[in-house]
Formats: sequence, C-alpha cells, structure tokens
Amino acid sequence: MTTLQPGTELRAHPRRMTRERMRWYVDLLPTVEADDGRVHQDVPTIHDDDEFARSQGLPGIIADGMLSTNWLLSLLMDAFGEDALAPGSLRTRYIAPVFEDVVITAVARVTAVQTDPDGTARYALELWCEDAEGKKLTVGDASVRVTGSVAERARAPRFLVSA
Amino acid sequence: MATGRYTSDLDTGDMLGPVEFKLSTFVVREYCHGNEMHHPWFQDTDRPMVPPTLVHLQKLRLYTHSCPAGTGPTARVHVEYDATCHETIFAEQPLRATGRVAQRYEKRGRTYVQIEIDLRAAEDDRPLITYRDTVIISYKPAAAEASS
Repeated sequence: MTTLQPGTELRAHPRRMTRERMRWYVDLLPTVEADDGRVHQDVPTIHDDDEFARSQGLPGIIADGMLSTNWLLSLLMDAFGEDALAPGSLRTRYIAPVFEDVVITAVARVTAVQTDPDGTARYALELWCEDAEGKKLTVGDASVRVTGSVAERARAPRFLVSA
Repeated sequence: MATGRYTSDLDTGDMLGPVEFKLSTFVVREYCHGNEMHHPWFQDTDRPMVPPTLVHLQKLRLYTHSCPAGTGPTARVHVEYDATCHETIFAEQPLRATGRVAQRYEKRGRTYVQIEIDLRAAEDDRPLITYRDTVIISYKPAAAEASS
C-alpha cells in the first residue's frame, strides 16, 4: 500500500470567498434546523449583511469560519476518501477574518504517519487556509485513519476521457 | 444557571438539551452542496454519510431548545472548531445531542464561551462525535458597545 510521507503537502485549488459562497452557508443554518425539505433564509448576519457587519465593529461582511473548516475537510476527503470522516479528529482555529473576495487555498501537510500490522495507516496532518499572499487565516490539525491506498486515490482522475 | 433566555447569557456549567433528532437526507445533501462538498458518499447515494462538521449546527438546535429568546443584540464570532469523530454517521439515523458550557471567560476585553457537545446514537448511547466549540459572544468590545 502506498502512503504519503511526512512533509507531503496537499493543496486544494484556490477559491474566491465570494458573497454568494458566504450566503450559501448562512442559509444552511435555518435550513438545517427546520429540516422540512425547503431552503430557509436567515436573519441579517455579519456574513451576508454589510450594514449589520459594520454595526458590529467589522469593516464589512466576513465568512463564517466553518466554510474554511469544510474546505479543509473537503481536501482531506479528496485525498483519503470517506476515511477522512471517522474515526479521527479535526480542529480549526480562525486566526484572521476572511473578507469578501479573498482567494483562499486549503492546505494539508503530513506531519507523521504510522502503519499498523493490518495495513491501516494513521496520519497526523497540519492544516491551514491561506490567502493569495500566503498569509494563514485559519490553522489547525487532523488525524485520519486510512484503510486504502491514499496516493492512488489522490491521483485518481475526476473524469474519464475516451476517444 | 443562565439558560432560558439569550445565548449570550450562558455561563460555565449550564447544560443544554438533550435533544433528539434525525438529519434528513435533504439537509445532509443541502449542507454538502452549500459547502461545495460534492463527494459521492454525500450526493450520489440513498443513504448519505453525514459530514462531522454538521455537528456545529446542532449547537443552534441546542440554543433554540435552551435559549429560546435567541442570540441577543450582538453577533457571535466563531473562534475554534474541535471535533473528535468516533464513528461514521448516516442521514436519517436517530441522534441525541447534549451540550455543556465548559467555560465562560474574558480575554482582551471580549467574552468567550466554550461549549462541549456530546453527540450520540439515540438507540444505544454510542458516542459518535465529541465537539468543543469556542465563540466570542460579542465581537464588538463592551466599551465600544456602550458608546454606540
């Protein structure tokens, strides 16, 4: 089984933190709570209403931190598949606000890997989201237990080409 | 004991819930779509797996249960997500969430609240996710709030 070695860095494609992406998350809050098969809209928040954000001492809307967390989780799932969900751990700390239109790259770096006799690999990873200048805005770490071959999964094409 | 009114009233030792619920296939897919997690085990199956990050929104369910007056006049800002996932969760699985305010403390003029959420299988009490959530309950420092 192929494993990723310590020092290996996984980088997601950069994404712009648009107003729309912020609102998609905001509307999930009442939608998940209502859970009635319909999409609900939230009251004005610091994530989708400039005036309300300014009234709270912010220069403008900021992204909900869970967007960064989910983009990091998404990167882990791209690499490790459903093994990234459980068992394991994920911690993220939001060290700087993510303002509208900032380009975010989610990054995971392998810090340790241990292979059990049954072939299960236990990964420890350092995580962060950085802006276009490389400034870290979110930092964290994760542990993932992986039963399959990570490298093959990470390199698997997202589409097939046939002539 | 500071439950029963605003979430901004919550104090160390307060208990939230328990609440029992299921996460429907609809909300799991909608949540993953809203976060652009288009992975097949979320979107292309009749029995989607639940992303562990959805535990964060169960805090709102606990807030609604224990603090029915809502958030209070100021916006919360999320500081840290810290989850340990014991087992994969599936949509439509009966769940039970309990919250406990682990800490309320002041730092650089702002009030922080840390809540621990214990998410378990409702049928046999198996632990599924242990989550610690840290927020600033008012981004605007108290002094600025008083002068505005």
